[in-house]
Amino acid sequence: MTTTHQTGPILSVRDLTVSFGRGAGRNIAVQDLSYDLLPGETLAIVGESGSGKSVSSMALLGLLPPRSANVESGTAMFQDKDLLSLPDAQLRGLRGDRITMIFQEPMTSLTPVLRIGRQLTEALIEHKGMGQADANARAREMLALVGLDEVDRRMRQFPHELSGGMRQRVMIAMAMAADPAILIADEPTTALDVTVQAQILDLMRDLQSRFGTSIILITHDMGVVAEMADRVVVMNRGRKVEEGPVADIFSNPQDHYTRKLLDAVPRLGAYATAAAPRSVVDKPTPVGKSLVHTEGMNKTFHEGGWFWKKGGGTAAMQDVGFDLNAAETLAIVGESGSGKSTTGRAVLRLLELDSGTVIVDGMDVRGYGKAGLRQARRQMQMIFQDPFASLNPRISAGRLVAEPMVIHGLASGGELQDRVEELFRRVGLEADHIRRFPHEFSGGQRQRLSIARALSVNPKLIVADEPTSALDVSVQAQVLELMLELQQSLGLAYLFISHDMAVVEEMAHRVAVMRRGRIVEIGPRKAVLNDPQHAYTRALLAAVPVPDPDRTRGTLPVIDAGTLPMGALAEVAPDHLVAQ
Amino acid sequence: MARFILQRLMAALVTIWIATIAVTILIHLVPGDPVRIMYGSFQTTPEELEAIRVRLGLDQPIWRQYLMYLGRLLHGDFGNSIVGDQPVIDILMTRFPSTLALTLSSLFIAVVVGMSLGFLAAYKRGTWVDVSAMVLAIVGVSMPHFWLGLLLLFLFALQLQWLPVAGGDWRSLILPALTLGLANAAVLARLTRSAMIDIFDQDFVRTAHAKGLPKSIVLYRHALRSGLVPVVSMLGLQFAYLMGGAIVVENVFAWNGVGRLAIEAVFARDYPLIQGFILFFAIIVALASVVIDVAYAFLDPRIRYS
Repeated sequence: MTTTHQTGPILSVRDLTVSFGRGAGRNIAVQDLSYDLLPGETLAIVGESGSGKSVSSMALLGLLPPRSANVESGTAMFQDKDLLSLPDAQLRGLRGDRITMIFQEPMTSLTPVLRIGRQLTEALIEHKGMGQADANARAREMLALVGLDEVDRRMRQFPHELSGGMRQRVMIAMAMAADPAILIADEPTTALDVTVQAQILDLMRDLQSRFGTSIILITHDMGVVAEMADRVVVMNRGRKVEEGPVADIFSNPQDHYTRKLLDAVPRLGAYATAAAPRSVVDKPTPVGKSLVHTEGMNKTFHEGGWFWKKGGGTAAMQDVGFDLNAAETLAIVGESGSGKSTTGRAVLRLLELDSGTVIVDGMDVRGYGKAGLRQARRQMQMIFQDPFASLNPRISAGRLVAEPMVIHGLASGGELQDRVEELFRRVGLEADHIRRFPHEFSGGQRQRLSIARALSVNPKLIVADEPTSALDVSVQAQVLELMLELQQSLGLAYLFISHDMAVVEEMAHRVAVMRRGRIVEIGPRKAVLNDPQHAYTRALLAAVPVPDPDRTRGTLPVIDAGTLPMGALAEVAPDHLVAQ
Repeated sequence: MARFILQRLMAALVTIWIATIAVTILIHLVPGDPVRIMYGSFQTTPEELEAIRVRLGLDQPIWRQYLMYLGRLLHGDFGNSIVGDQPVIDILMTRFPSTLALTLSSLFIAVVVGMSLGFLAAYKRGTWVDVSAMVLAIVGVSMPHFWLGLLLLFLFALQLQWLPVAGGDWRSLILPALTLGLANAAVLARLTRSAMIDIFDQDFVRTAHAKGLPKSIVLYRHALRSGLVPVVSMLGLQFAYLMGGAIVVENVFAWNGVGRLAIEAVFARDYPLIQGFILFFAIIVALASVVIDVAYAFLDPRIRYS
């Protein structure tokens, strides 16, 4: 395909301003944004939530909700046409054909009631005037190109029959089938596991060189930016704060915000030489004696049958066991479905094990009666990934934090109020936050609130399940810092569940890697992260995007899922155990 | 799919079985001696009452009564009515076609009117179209069947004289079907609206728009089919409401179906007929939910293949 602008930009956005709402409630989401997209390049638009990075791209395609969003001014020239003033019908002709889009959520971005084949071909039939047979042939070709097997069967399948990674491949096949001039990828790998993310990024690069497509990559992940982008636009609160070649942005950021953003990015390897997390207080509590001991934990989830459980079922945990000492952090890493969250819940007895031992502070957690368990829960608290979903929206922040103390009869009256105020200050919230409700807090503040709530009963153990995964990087850095500070001054033990290897390196004393319900490797941080012995650990570490455009990740190690050792753990070095 | 249907049929059988137990217990829940209640109004001697008691098996322990009842049911014997001493099943079967005609045409009206209104309201969310559709729906939901029926009768049969007040032909079906259908259309409209509003916000609808598909294809192929899933699942319950409503509507319009029969049986204290009617009703509703479940599975592949 030849374009009339071989050398000039393929897309020129000038002074784009988008607002939501009207009158006094008017809220500017994007202000005076200008950039050029050159043929064949990948332009990353980077920013945190609320920066306007997605809104600006949706506006180009006329995909913003028409009743609430207004494109107030600006032009976007594409092939001598202004996308922003083009009549609906003409814009629709370009959309899905010359300019296509892939979205963040592969699980929900495909229509559940239509077969994959139908969804792949309908845009081709609509825009290219292909017959069903030609469109089918093209769709099959694209499915093979994005690396799916058994393409004929895939064509007949429904979305729910495919995994998240496979669905994102289908989305990419759909977006590339028309051989578009521009592909807009809105956080295309954010919802995916790290090894799948690496494959999808490789695929996008491969297709780009094959088709010569220009890509607008919208992301918050500096690792993905370093790996994919030629040039970068950094956005903050609706404005472009910096623009430049990717190497310059990383090596010589000009804007204050860009520097802050880059500083906040956790980098795997940054703490590679340290044997323990960095000290953030003067006299950190040293790691103490054993607090948690688990062994032989098994849990299988059965599908509910009619009268009896169905046979088989999914083994969420198989023979899982580990130790955790006071004031120590054991990180459990793994991909979705690895059983890491199940393990955390089992320790708190938020679910009943099929078999196994859980000892916390010398007491058998599985042996408790109802009253005993409630008493024991004072020792152990949990922090969840989504602080908004885990805080009751109708209860004020102060009462949320006070509630556990009331339940356990720890304080009342004036003492309770003093204690709540103290906890708010302890986690970096203001005293006047006490009367507010959860929706009035930002994501980071809500997570601080969850931490205050967990701390209120003076626990010894906190199970933190992906506590910062839903947060922007700069906020994540602050919450991690707070967690380190609390551990070192209060002597808390953390069972830290995460999929993010760089965060794990920052937080953990020891690391356990889980895969398909089993621990495949466990040991001190340096041993597991710097000298991984299990092939799966190595694959996991190799897939982590490196936030440095000069260091390429290198090719992915090919792992054969069938032959990975998944047996009993054996010691390869002191305290370093690997599945055989 | 065959296994799925078999499963649903089994569930329906369980429902019907529970209904048989309820029906047996029912007659013993009424205070006093059932035989006296049923036959006491006739000129009967104590000896005759005792003979009836033995004939009906009411002198046996309740579990044996139940087993006998179940045995008769399996032979298609619903017992005989007190009034006229005819087989209950024959009476039900002669009157049922009228009720079936009424409920099916009401269901048709409810689906067509309710779903279109709900879909339109969701699509035009927040506009005057939405508001007026939902006001109509609230009126429809709140208005009792008999009242709506009387209003329609007054307007179309008495004032305008377009349609007959009662009778047996298809023209006299229109008013009762409208009465029953519109009330249920209101429920469906509200349900469809909330289901479609949910769907319009889904990621896959955005994907369909991003593909540059014409609005009609986005709305019908992608949104409506997915939005219908929860609505269809509610149709089973709707059908049960419809059958219940039929009892009232048939009486208002003197429509000669099983609903009217039920009221006659109640006034005549014809217990075998009432029992037969309840069980018959349970069977129809259970079978209807099987049909709905299968349709549901057909619409939603996630259910079809699990």
